[in-house]
Amino acid sequence: MTVNRQTIDTVRARVPHWPFSSVLVANRGEIAVRVLRTVQALGLKGIVVHHAADRSSPAVRMADAAVEITGATPVAAYLDAAQIIAAAKASGAGAIHPGYGFLSENRAFCEAVEAAGIRFIGPTPAQIDLMGDKVRARNFVEKAGFPVAPSAIEDDDPASFIERARKVGAPLLIKPSAGGGGKGMRIVRDLALLEAEIERARSEGQRYFGDGRLYVERYVENPRHIEVQVLGDGQGSVVHVFERECSVQRRFQKIVEETPSPALDDAKRREICETAAGIARSCTYRNAGTVEFIFGQNGEFYFLEMNTRLQVEHPVTEQITGLDLVLEQLCVAAGEKLPYRQDDIRSRGHSIEFRIYAEDPARGYTPTTGPVLVWQPAQGEGIRMDAGIVQGGEVTANFDPMLAKLIVTGSDRDDAIARADRALRDTVLLGCKTNTAFLRRLIAHPAFVSGDVHTGFLDANPQIAADPPLTQHTRDRLLAVGSLMTRPMRDVADSVPDMHAAMGGWRN
Amino acid sequence: MHHAFKLEDQDLNVELSRARDGYRVHIGERVLAVDLRTGADGRAWLTIDGEHHEVVVATRGDDVFVHLDGAAYQLRYRHPLDRLAASLHGAAEDSVRAPMPGSIVAVHVRPGDAVTKGQVLLVMESMKMETTVTAPRDGVIQTVKYEKGQTFDRDALLLSFEPSA
Repeated sequence: MTVNRQTIDTVRARVPHWPFSSVLVANRGEIAVRVLRTVQALGLKGIVVHHAADRSSPAVRMADAAVEITGATPVAAYLDAAQIIAAAKASGAGAIHPGYGFLSENRAFCEAVEAAGIRFIGPTPAQIDLMGDKVRARNFVEKAGFPVAPSAIEDDDPASFIERARKVGAPLLIKPSAGGGGKGMRIVRDLALLEAEIERARSEGQRYFGDGRLYVERYVENPRHIEVQVLGDGQGSVVHVFERECSVQRRFQKIVEETPSPALDDAKRREICETAAGIARSCTYRNAGTVEFIFGQNGEFYFLEMNTRLQVEHPVTEQITGLDLVLEQLCVAAGEKLPYRQDDIRSRGHSIEFRIYAEDPARGYTPTTGPVLVWQPAQGEGIRMDAGIVQGGEVTANFDPMLAKLIVTGSDRDDAIARADRALRDTVLLGCKTNTAFLRRLIAHPAFVSGDVHTGFLDANPQIAADPPLTQHTRDRLLAVGSLMTRPMRDVADSVPDMHAAMGGWRN
Repeated sequence: MHHAFKLEDQDLNVELSRARDGYRVHIGERVLAVDLRTGADGRAWLTIDGEHHEVVVATRGDDVFVHLDGAAYQLRYRHPLDRLAASLHGAAEDSVRAPMPGSIVAVHVRPGDAVTKGQVLLVMESMKMETTVTAPRDGVIQTVKYEKGQTFDRDALLLSFEPSA
């Protein structure tokens, strides 16, 4: 999303005098570039901190000023709150944008920034605290009257545990209180078996963890991950900016995100979006945020967690609504009220984001590394590429393997998928293996085409991750290019006199 | 001369010869007329058996990277002498290589240490998970290539053993 002329004029009317003239981005990669783009378009000064490993990154090249930070590892540098705040003070930054990950949901960082007299472009410390603790967040949401997955904790009242577990309803999941890693978990589909399964889970818990205490929660079969973008100004006004579906995941990490969700009809969409806005309103939320839900095949949905920051997948929301979410964050941090109401926010078309990872899907999605010898991102109508790499750079094991995000927008879902296939085909990255070929296989799968996926979809369909065998035609062409690009082979070929060559094929 | 490329974990033999117009590749018993014209930004035009294909190519050392039909491939040129050496020694168990890129969390051995098969040599971190690297055989550690905190690529040589007697 680029901020256009008209938006800037609207913003001038909205924020005539910015309380800060420069913004420090406490992040790296594509999100640092993304934030800088809006900051600079507004005429504000953009500053980044960076570890030496990122010295020639696009964010550092683009920033008006860059401050080097150090650490035992490159990641440690970006987690060093004291050093980043010192850099902000030294460079005269009036506000800090934390991006996502790193310090974006760290209460102590947020407090320290504000204590230093710098604006934190994010929620209040209390909101980070509330939503950062899963149990606290769940209790808050339940108390406010919004849906959480029904559950029963044995410790609350051991005598009534079985009775309370029965009330959770089938299918349900029994988990050891002391558990982890899926050990000792049992799914109960028939409540007649509940007591026997509880006894079995108890003895397994005892065996694995030396602790037989249990809890039970509703089991959602083949769930979808649906989340809702919200915006709050911290002054009582909250709107939702529709949903995103992020059900295509590997190892609990999102790979493809889209909006609108193919799983929702208008009534369900209104229900889930208003639930999210209600949750944010209950805590007078300030900042852009995301309320995540687990969504069952029968339309039931439960609060999962709330992320109090800009999300990786925020661009699809921008593409269908025309909003610039970073701009909204900046305006809220500047103390402005939201200037629009819920009805003013409309969406048009369909947008899908693909995370381009340096990884090998066929080897269990293990990360890959290598030089970026050629980087030619796809271009064209409806194509947006938010990238954190440059040609000539290097992909290392220092950071998360996400290299770029391809965001494709079309008039409807089919149109977006068709454009995505072309864009993935036309995106060239040589030197480091990526998942783009896998993404093309994924979007060609009938289940994806019909919008019928759940969070376990890739685990249930490992063949999508496997490299298809090379055809002879492909192998021939690759060997031909390889041979013609390899000096020793050309030298040997060229050393044979033309006369021999003219006589026809030779063998050895 | 015997030339070969490693492509998707397979060693493939190929020969190249000069033709009156361009070149010929020899793959098994098949001979295909080929030529490659390169342009700016890695763009190149491959002619093979009368067909034309646009590709993007890049090289680094012995690696040739090719974007073909919307997918990227890597070929690694196998030097004839290296292949000969590998076939004579078969010394794979003398070196411990990285199964994936990552960083070193802890190193438990030093050069000269005698270790037994299965003993933990080092702990690495990749994808936010720790993985232990164990000794593939009994032996004596010859070199340790990385220290705690350093990062490495896949297939990087982490440790080597003294050759077994």
